[in-house]
Amino acid sequence: MSPTRAEPDPADYPVHWAWEDGPLTPGLTCVFRVKNEARNLPWVLPPMFEAVTHVVLVDNGSDDGTAEIAQRVAEEHGAADRFTLRSYPVRVARAGTEHLQTPPDSPRSLTYFYNWSFSHVRTSYSMKWDGDMVLTAEGVELLRDLAWQLEDSNAVVAIPRHPMSVESESVAWLDLGYRFLEPWVYPMGPEFTFVKAFEWEVREFPPTSERIVAPEGMCVELKWLDQDEFAHWSDTTFDPVRTPRKARELEVNRALHEGRGHEIEGLKRIEAPAGVHVIDYVTKQWMQLEPRPLTLRLELQETGQ
Amino acid sequence: MSESRRRVVFVVGSGRSGTSTMGGALQALGMHVPQPEVRADETNPKGFAESKWVVDLHTELLQRCRVHVSDARPSAWFETGKASASGITRARLTEWLGPQFKEAAGEDPAIDELVIKDPRLAWFLGLWKSAALRCDAQPSYVTLLRHVTEVVGSKKRYYAPGMAGSEFSEVQRTAAWVNMMLHTERATREGRRAFVRYDDMLSDWTVPLFRIGQELDLEAVKGASANDIRKVHQFIDPDLKRVQTTWDDVEVPARLRELAEETWTGLSRLAEPGGDTADVHALLDQVREAYGAFYDEAEAVALSSVVAARREGRQQALDERPPVPDAFTVRARRKLRRTLGR
Repeated sequence: MSPTRAEPDPADYPVHWAWEDGPLTPGLTCVFRVKNEARNLPWVLPPMFEAVTHVVLVDNGSDDGTAEIAQRVAEEHGAADRFTLRSYPVRVARAGTEHLQTPPDSPRSLTYFYNWSFSHVRTSYSMKWDGDMVLTAEGVELLRDLAWQLEDSNAVVAIPRHPMSVESESVAWLDLGYRFLEPWVYPMGPEFTFVKAFEWEVREFPPTSERIVAPEGMCVELKWLDQDEFAHWSDTTFDPVRTPRKARELEVNRALHEGRGHEIEGLKRIEAPAGVHVIDYVTKQWMQLEPRPLTLRLELQETGQ
Repeated sequence: MSESRRRVVFVVGSGRSGTSTMGGALQALGMHVPQPEVRADETNPKGFAESKWVVDLHTELLQRCRVHVSDARPSAWFETGKASASGITRARLTEWLGPQFKEAAGEDPAIDELVIKDPRLAWFLGLWKSAALRCDAQPSYVTLLRHVTEVVGSKKRYYAPGMAGSEFSEVQRTAAWVNMMLHTERATREGRRAFVRYDDMLSDWTVPLFRIGQELDLEAVKGASANDIRKVHQFIDPDLKRVQTTWDDVEVPARLRELAEETWTGLSRLAEPGGDTADVHALLDQVREAYGAFYDEAEAVALSSVVAARREGRQQALDERPPVPDAFTVRARRKLRRTLGR
């Protein structure tokens, strides 16, 4: 369904939290808000079904069959009873300037969209996840453990991710120059809802919440060299102070398109053995066996999350 | 994806449940226990099948998390889970585990299958799982099951006054058993695993060991020679079951007894062939939740004791501090120094 252009009414998308109705059930729910991720979901969803208690996927007006593919993958993996598929056919403001100009209580706001998406969670812990992030074998095991260990702890968990540009079925470039760290896993409750930030939304948590940092090598963020990765941004002029991660991604993207991948410090070319897709190779084997530390941790200030 | 032959079997379960018997049997069949081992003593005359490095690591981590090996707090799993998620500790463990596997060299055969066993191990399974993956080894788990009253009776008998764990009561030990067993089951649920009753090990060990070899795909067990089998018969002492206590000998509150019995019933079903099913997991989840609620309630009732113990600890620390000279003495000393020109 294509996104509606008329001004949407919040009454059509009520945010009603499960904790208002009674105690939440134990476990961890992963929430995806996606648009046109049909290509990535067959890589992203299977390890996620292995790792967490429940998956909520909110489709935001895809026209590439995202919802159908998600449903099919859930069924193929025997996870249909642990999968909730919802549609949010509102044209949501793009990250950046457009987001800044949108009030947070408008269904067009990323803030509202996130809160509505997370209101479908019934477990005591939740995790936001992007439709292009693939868990590694070790990442699956880590989340399986956290799904029961975090119960009642009020802790939030930050997980480093490693951007991976896929050149072909057998070659990919993994960015190990920096450690891109972002909190992903949060308890559910009124103190852990989404609020507006400058470029996008942020999730609140009380200062008393313990912050756990997961080790490196838990997930990769897929980027396909044959498509424009920056289409969902309202412009491609990044302020390197406010959005250093995006600036780095753009630098890597340009270098790879110009055949200069080897010139970028921390960018690693990986070739899979014959007959194995490079995404499978990296997430199920290479990442586990590579000596630690993985990332170079070059100087880069990260703000905004 | 990987076709590695490497295996690591983690032998878990409460102490005094036959974990040493299982570790020793796997070792006798040809699996490797990383050396050096903890030396045998009167509590386990045939040895523990425990690697000293492993015991030392767990002791250090438990101390750092302020968790006791027999901790009855459900929240203790969060503390050790955090320690298990540390990137530095994962790298440290991987660095140790990797070289334990060895290629064949001269007359020395390859070492592809390891046994890791320690009563503290269950607290850090996430950590070990990651190290196994990073060493391209398939992790699997064997949980030993022995009825709680026998475990408590055995601990009472062998952990004599002055030994580790002797400060605990029957009630605390029973609660710690429930906590350990329910969470060990949860921690191993998605993995390749087997549950073995201690009684089955002692009555005819060939049945559970054969099953473990098949289900966990262990070459050493599947291809055991007649000599290896003889070694296990010599190792397992038919008189090993020296403690046979029942609820008549262990006095605990009725609700705790119920929870312990429900735990035992659920876990025993897992030990049956084909018994590791979703409905048993759901039952054990309910018991785990009920135990958490029971513990919270008990903790709330006993809060005054906790506050009093904290106060007592603070006072004890103050009493043990070296005396601080009073203000008058300090001033007098300063004056004397000035007078003497020092």
